[in-house]
Amino acid sequence: MGQKVPVTAIRLFWATTLLLLAGGPLLTTAALALGALLDATAWRALWHEPPWLSALGLTLWTGLASTALAWWLSAALLAQGFVRQSLGRLLRGLPVMLATPHAAFAIGLVFLLAPSGWLLRALSPWLTAFEFPPPWATTQDPWGLGLIAALTAKEVPFLLWTAATQLQRDDLRQRWRSEHALAQTLGYSPQRAFWRVVWPQLSARLWWPLLAVLAYGLTVVDMALVIGPASPPTLAVLAWQWLQDADLAVNAQGAAAGGVLTLALLGAALLWRGLQRLHRLGGQRLNGQRGVASMPANAQPSAGLPASYLLLAGLYGAVLLALAVGSVAGVWPFPSVWPETVTWQAWHRVWDSRSTVGTTLGLALASAALALAWSVAWLELAPRRWDTALRPVLYLPLVLPAVLWVVGLYSLALQWRLEGQWLGLLLAHTYMVLPYVLLALSPAYLGFDARYAQLNASLGHGPWHFLWRIKWPLLRRALAASAAVGFAVSVAQYLPTLYIGAGRFSSVTTEAVNLAAGGQRSLTSAYAGLQFLLPVLAFALAAWLGAPRRFKPAHP
Amino acid sequence: MTLQVHITQLGSAQRVLLRALRFEVPAGHILTLMGPSGCGKSSVLAAIAGTLGSVAEGAQALNAQASVRLNGEEIGQRPTAQRGVGLLFQDALLFAHLTVAENLLFAVPPGPRAQRLAQVQQALTEAGLQGYGERDPATLSGGQRARVALMRALLAQPKALLLDEPFSKLDATLRDQFRAFVFDHIRAQNIPAVLVTHDAADVADPARVLELPTHDAT
Repeated sequence: MGQKVPVTAIRLFWATTLLLLAGGPLLTTAALALGALLDATAWRALWHEPPWLSALGLTLWTGLASTALAWWLSAALLAQGFVRQSLGRLLRGLPVMLATPHAAFAIGLVFLLAPSGWLLRALSPWLTAFEFPPPWATTQDPWGLGLIAALTAKEVPFLLWTAATQLQRDDLRQRWRSEHALAQTLGYSPQRAFWRVVWPQLSARLWWPLLAVLAYGLTVVDMALVIGPASPPTLAVLAWQWLQDADLAVNAQGAAAGGVLTLALLGAALLWRGLQRLHRLGGQRLNGQRGVASMPANAQPSAGLPASYLLLAGLYGAVLLALAVGSVAGVWPFPSVWPETVTWQAWHRVWDSRSTVGTTLGLALASAALALAWSVAWLELAPRRWDTALRPVLYLPLVLPAVLWVVGLYSLALQWRLEGQWLGLLLAHTYMVLPYVLLALSPAYLGFDARYAQLNASLGHGPWHFLWRIKWPLLRRALAASAAVGFAVSVAQYLPTLYIGAGRFSSVTTEAVNLAAGGQRSLTSAYAGLQFLLPVLAFALAAWLGAPRRFKPAHP
Repeated sequence: MTLQVHITQLGSAQRVLLRALRFEVPAGHILTLMGPSGCGKSSVLAAIAGTLGSVAEGAQALNAQASVRLNGEEIGQRPTAQRGVGLLFQDALLFAHLTVAENLLFAVPPGPRAQRLAQVQQALTEAGLQGYGERDPATLSGGQRARVALMRALLAQPKALLLDEPFSKLDATLRDQFRAFVFDHIRAQNIPAVLVTHDAADVADPARVLELPTHDAT
């Protein structure tokens, strides 16, 4: 027993180091970002800038509507998947949707919905009688409907996936399955049993992901630049424009707008919580009404997937196809469904600037690896109380508006003389990737049965043997998937890459978003397609690495 | 009220767990199903309650060809919710997001609120848990949780009750008390019950014991 004390001390020493490594820069960044808000003149300037109020209105409308839609859709899909036991199949298509970067999705959606887009081409001229693209504002519509659609379609897979990480935990899945069966023996229909028993427990665990969705919807810049309203734009876009201004006073005004976004997020989160509580107090939950059971008990779970899911999958398919076709389209006059000529010119130009792809890949691989190593070490070493305490700090980059976050990051990079350098860019990416990796990894990692460790020790093996031979192999799937998530998050970074890179580095994402404003359909499509392709490859690799071991079939 | 069960075959795509099982339980009586683990005891209960789909998924999914008659009425094809068969699991499975009283209220059939709450209070009293209504179920002892689980199953007014090794996780003294508590309540409700166990001490009625044979995986 004499050895025990130093072991714990070493453990706490490393945990402290990890804590400082992650918590220090995150808190400093947040403090610097919030410090930028203490400029009273900036606030006064913002107040006198006429479009900010209508921009805020648009922000609240698009953010809240898309979050509510995504939440509601995800809940409905989970209910159907759980009741019909088709969750496994429902989740199979998820990695592709999840890996599609927001910006690439928005660009593809624009090519689909624009007046000269595929949707109208498919319907013209036989139905619409259009010989030319109509002058409609279908994509950068002033009501933000395009942005809401794009955000919703992008956030549903994220919410489904975070729910799946909970539902895949052995302990929770078995318990909720049993409780669901129990509620049915008490007379509740399968659907209602889900809503009354499983959903309240599941949704309570989705609060942080939901907050991330809400924050993203309220503060997104890259997607809003591509598909959002233009005049006025959303407040986040306005803030971003001000931040890029050469005038320092206008910069400060941009930071202040970031502050307004933070307050808007806070208000929206409180509103959401309030509505949830109101719903709970409504008392409907425990009125004893059993609902109508429509599914015969002995019937096999139906093979079909929910129609809304197929629609969503179809939308992703169409968006990606639009990007693929767009990237090789040469001459493509309006009502033709397919381009008349095919050209590889865009891809040649991508090849010519392959350093862009190299930067993207290098950043994504390095930041995902760093974040994974940190997360594993942290979950392994840190006492649970520390972990709980650190979580809110770690989630700061998720919930603080990106426009405000980059202000803090930039001041920090300036102090450390890292602005415009690869190392600075890597750190900026890593701190953005870290919360996602930890969020992805911790349910499986913390749910790992602690008795295996005792078993390992009782067999006379040391802790490293346990990690390498038992724990990590068993958690291979979760580890590989979290790394892929980190990779995808890094690839999709727009603001930090542009701002910390100080214009010296370009990634496929910054190229795609910048090109989207211009008229080069094929080059934009190529970069957006690449932006999609890289994470998909990462997820495919993760799926292959994380595939469960195949055993020989048992034959007596 | 009589429960008649006739299982022609029960098993997965790969193996048959049991064939040709037939029994009958009159109201107020308890039939004990015994057998070694893995012989399909619990699956028999799941087949009666219609919850086989929740036991295992995929290749291990179980299927039963069974006739279940409750009071002469065939219920074997109905959804679980419409069978009126209660099930008490090995774990108490109190819903973690609800208080003890809310767990009980969940089972009470719809009706005037005051009346439903009175039923809950009555059940708490019977379980010796007055004043525990507002508690988090996680703060109860194992024996208290087990009693709440039974009261919850009974509050739904089942026409038959199935007990899946409900005593196996309790220690010896609690076990005797809770066993008597369960048997008394079943007799008082005058419903048929089926108890699954591998412990001979659990047998409720020596005249009604069924030993399940072990089937080899073929």
